Amino acid sequence: MKKSTLLLLVLCLSATSVFSGGYQVRLQGHRQTGMGLVGVSLFGDASTIFYNPGAMSKTNNKFSFLVGGSGIFNNTVFSLENSTYQAKTDNPMGTPVFLYAAGKLGEKWSLGLGVYTPYGSSAKWGDDWAGKNLIQDISMKVFFIQPTVGYKFSDKLSIGAGFVYATGDVELNKAVPYSSPTVQGQANLQGKTTNYGFNAGILYTPNEDWSVGLSYRSEVTMALSDGDATFTVPSSLAGALSKDKFDADLPLPANLDFGFAYRSSEKFLFSVEFNYVLWETYDTLKFTFKGNPALNSSNPREYTNRLITRIGGEYIVNDLITVRAGAYYDPSPTNKNFFNPETPSLDTYGMSFGLSINPTKKFAIDLSYLHLETQETTKSYTPEYFTGNYKTRTMIPGIGLSYKF
Amino acid sequence: MKIKNILILFALGLLFACEPKIDTFTTTSGEADFSKYVSLGNSLTSGYADGDLYKSGQENSYPAILAGQFEAAGGGEFKQPLMFDEYGFGRRFLLDASIPGPVLAGVAPDERNFQSIAGDGPFNNMGVPGAKSFHLGIAGYGTLNPYFGRFASAATTSVLADAIAQNPTFFSLWIGNNDVLAYALTGASSDSITPMPYFAGSIGAMLQKLTENGAKGIIANIPNITSIPYFTFMNTRLPYNGLVLTEQAQVDALNAGYAPLNAFIKSIGSTDTLAFALGQNGFVIAENDVLWGMRQMKSGELFLLTLPTDSIKNYGYGSQTPIPDKYILSTGEINEIKTATTAFNTVIKNYAQQFDIAFVDMNAKLSEIEQGGVVYDGVPFTTAFITGNSFSLDGVHMTGKGNALAANYFIDAINAKYGSVIKHVSPRLYPGIYYYQ
Repeated sequence: MKKSTLLLLVLCLSATSVFSGGYQVRLQGHRQTGMGLVGVSLFGDASTIFYNPGAMSKTNNKFSFLVGGSGIFNNTVFSLENSTYQAKTDNPMGTPVFLYAAGKLGEKWSLGLGVYTPYGSSAKWGDDWAGKNLIQDISMKVFFIQPTVGYKFSDKLSIGAGFVYATGDVELNKAVPYSSPTVQGQANLQGKTTNYGFNAGILYTPNEDWSVGLSYRSEVTMALSDGDATFTVPSSLAGALSKDKFDADLPLPANLDFGFAYRSSEKFLFSVEFNYVLWETYDTLKFTFKGNPALNSSNPREYTNRLITRIGGEYIVNDLITVRAGAYYDPSPTNKNFFNPETPSLDTYGMSFGLSINPTKKFAIDLSYLHLETQETTKSYTPEYFTGNYKTRTMIPGIGLSYKF
Repeated sequence: MKIKNILILFALGLLFACEPKIDTFTTTSGEADFSKYVSLGNSLTSGYADGDLYKSGQENSYPAILAGQFEAAGGGEFKQPLMFDEYGFGRRFLLDASIPGPVLAGVAPDERNFQSIAGDGPFNNMGVPGAKSFHLGIAGYGTLNPYFGRFASAATTSVLADAIAQNPTFFSLWIGNNDVLAYALTGASSDSITPMPYFAGSIGAMLQKLTENGAKGIIANIPNITSIPYFTFMNTRLPYNGLVLTEQAQVDALNAGYAPLNAFIKSIGSTDTLAFALGQNGFVIAENDVLWGMRQMKSGELFLLTLPTDSIKNYGYGSQTPIPDKYILSTGEINEIKTATTAFNTVIKNYAQQFDIAFVDMNAKLSEIEQGGVVYDGVPFTTAFITGNSFSLDGVHMTGKGNALAANYFIDAINAKYGSVIKHVSPRLYPGIYYYQ
C-alpha cells in the first residue's frame, strides 16, 4: 500500500465527521432560565444584553450588574442497532457563565457590556466505544463579548443593539483505523478562532400589563484556520501520517426571537416566546488540510431551521422571595440520516424552576434548575452505517448574583 | 416554609435518576434455544488470525459475535479459552507499511498463554487451531495439540467430549478445512488429504452425539482454499512464467546448463524438457512425479505465500536451482484438493439434511467474494491480501471484519432454518489489519 492509498483511507474516515454542530446554550440569566428560558419580552436587569438589547434601556435603575453560572450534568445513552451493545457518555460538567453590566446615560440612552457563553458542547464517549471512528470526545467553548447600546423612544418603545466579538476553541479526538496491538490510531484536531457579529432588538410595552419583544442575533462563523491536526499511529506509519494544519468553518446559527409577557397582577407575570434558530447554515462540515490535501473531507450535517416554543411564569411571593417555573419544547435541528454522536442533540423537553432571594432592594441571589428530557430516538450516520437509539438526560442547576440601584 | 419546599424540589430534581436508560434491542429465538451455545471447529472457529491465536482475535471470532447476537434472543454466557495478551504463542504477524507486508511482531508473549486454563472452564468456544474432522473425537488430543491442551478438561478427554459435557442447546460445527488445507499448506509436499471414510465417519458420529438430546445446530462447509490469499497473493507478484531473461547470454547459459538433462529426458521418451528463450519463462520447480525431479512451471499453478522471493532474486531459485515443491501447488495437486473439497462438501450437505440442522454454504460465499467481491455496510470484501478486508496477515484466516461477515452468513442460515430473528452485525465495527507497533 502506497502512502497515497493510506492517505485516501484516512480521507474516507475523516469523511465521517469531525466536530460539533454547536450546541446552543441560552442559559444566560437565572430569571430567564427559571422561566423556561423566555427572555425576549422581559426587562428590568442587564441580562437583556443577551436576550433582547432592545429592553436594556427600559428600566428604572441607574445601574444593573449580574454574574452567574450553571453546571450542566448531561449524559447520553446509545444502544447499537440490532445488538445488546450500549454505550454511555461520561461527559465532564459543562459550565456556561455570564457577566453583564448596564448603566443609564440620562433618560434615553443606556450602555452595557456582556460576556457570556452562548454556544458550547462537550461529549465524551470514550476511546473504545462502537462509534469511535466518528467521535471519541469533543469539547467546544465559545465566549461572546458584547458592548451594547440602548435607546428609549418613550416608555412604550425602546431599541438596542450590540456588537459581538466572538472567541472560541474546539478540540476533538476520533479513532483512525490504523492500529497495532499497542497503539490505537487516533486523530486529534484542535483550533482557535475569533470573529464578529451583532444582535439587535426592540421592546414594545403598550401598557403596564403587556410587553412584546423581538430580537435578532446574527450568525457567527467560527472559521478555524491553521488548526493543529495530530495523528497517533503505529510507528511503521508515522512517516506517512503525522502532524498537519487544517482549516474548517463551524457556523454558530442566527436566532430570531419573538415573545410577549403579561402581568396579570402586581405579583404574577406570564410569558410565551418563540425562538427561530437558523440552523440550516450548518449543511456540511468541510476540512481542508494544508500538508496533505488527500485528507480533505466534506461531511454532511444538513441541519434544518427549528422553532422552539417556551412558556414561563414568575410569582413575587413577597419582598424577599420570587419563584418561577417554565417549560419548553426544543426540536433537534439534526438530520436523522446524518446524526453524528459528536452532537447528540435530540428533540428535547425542558422544565425549569427558579428562585430569587432579595435580602435588600439592591441585591439578589438567583437560583435556577433546568431539567431536560429527550425521547428515545433512532438515528443514523449513514456515511458510516452507524445506527442506534439515543436518549439524553440533562440536569442544570445554576446560581447567580444580581446588584442594581 | 415556601423556600423550604422549593429547596426540597431542587434536591429531588438532582436526585432524580441521573442516568437516562434505554431498553436493548430484542429478537426472537424461533425454534432454537440459544441458552447454551457451544462452537466446535478449527482455527477459523477459535478466532485465530495473523498467524496466531491472540486475545482480541478470539474476542472477534465469529462464534463470539454470534453469541453476542444470541444474547438478545435468550443466549447465555459464552466463555472462551482466551489468551492473556495479543501475542499468543509468539508467532503473530503485523503489517509493516513500508514493505508493505507482514512481519513478525517479535514480542515475547505472556507465559500464561502456555499454561493450562482448564480450571476456568468449561469453555463454549471449542475451536482448536489445526484440528481436522477426525481429531475432534480423539481422546487425549490435548496431548497432541497444545491449543487444545491449554483448555482440555483432562489429559484423556476429546474436544467432542468436552463439548457434550456442557449439554449444549445449540451448536455450530465448521470443520474440514484442515482436512484439505494442511496438505495444501505444505505445497502438498507432506501431510495428506483425509481419506473419505474418516471424514464422513467422524462428522456423522459428532452430529449424532451433538443432536442426541434434541439440540439444534448449524454446520458450515469447506470454502475452496485455493481462493485464499495464501495461495493467490504470490502469483499477483510473481507469475508462473516470471523468469524474465533479457540477454541472449543468459538464455544460452541456461539452455547449455540443462542440455545434459534434456538429453536424458528425451532418451527415455519424454517431451517434458526444459527450454529457455528471451522474455518470460516458466520457473524451474521441483517435481516428485518425474524421475529427474524437476520441470518448468505451468499456467494455473500457484506459489504459496511462504515463497522466499529473495532466493529467487539472489540465489538462482527457479533458474539454476529448482524451487522446492513445498512452495508450489501444481495443477495436479490443485485438482486433488478441489475434488476432495467437493466430495467433503457433499457429505456435509447431506448430513445437514439427515440431522435436520441449519447449513451455511461458506464455499459459495467465498466464491461470491472472490468473483467481484461483496459490499456489506459499505465495507468492500475481496480475497485480496492485506487490502481485501476478508483475510488477516497469514493469508488463511479471517480478520475481525471477515469474522463479522461470516457471522452474518451463519445468522442468515440459522434464521432461515429455525424461524428465529437474529440480527446482523455491522462489519464496520470490527477490526481489520493491525500495523507493526
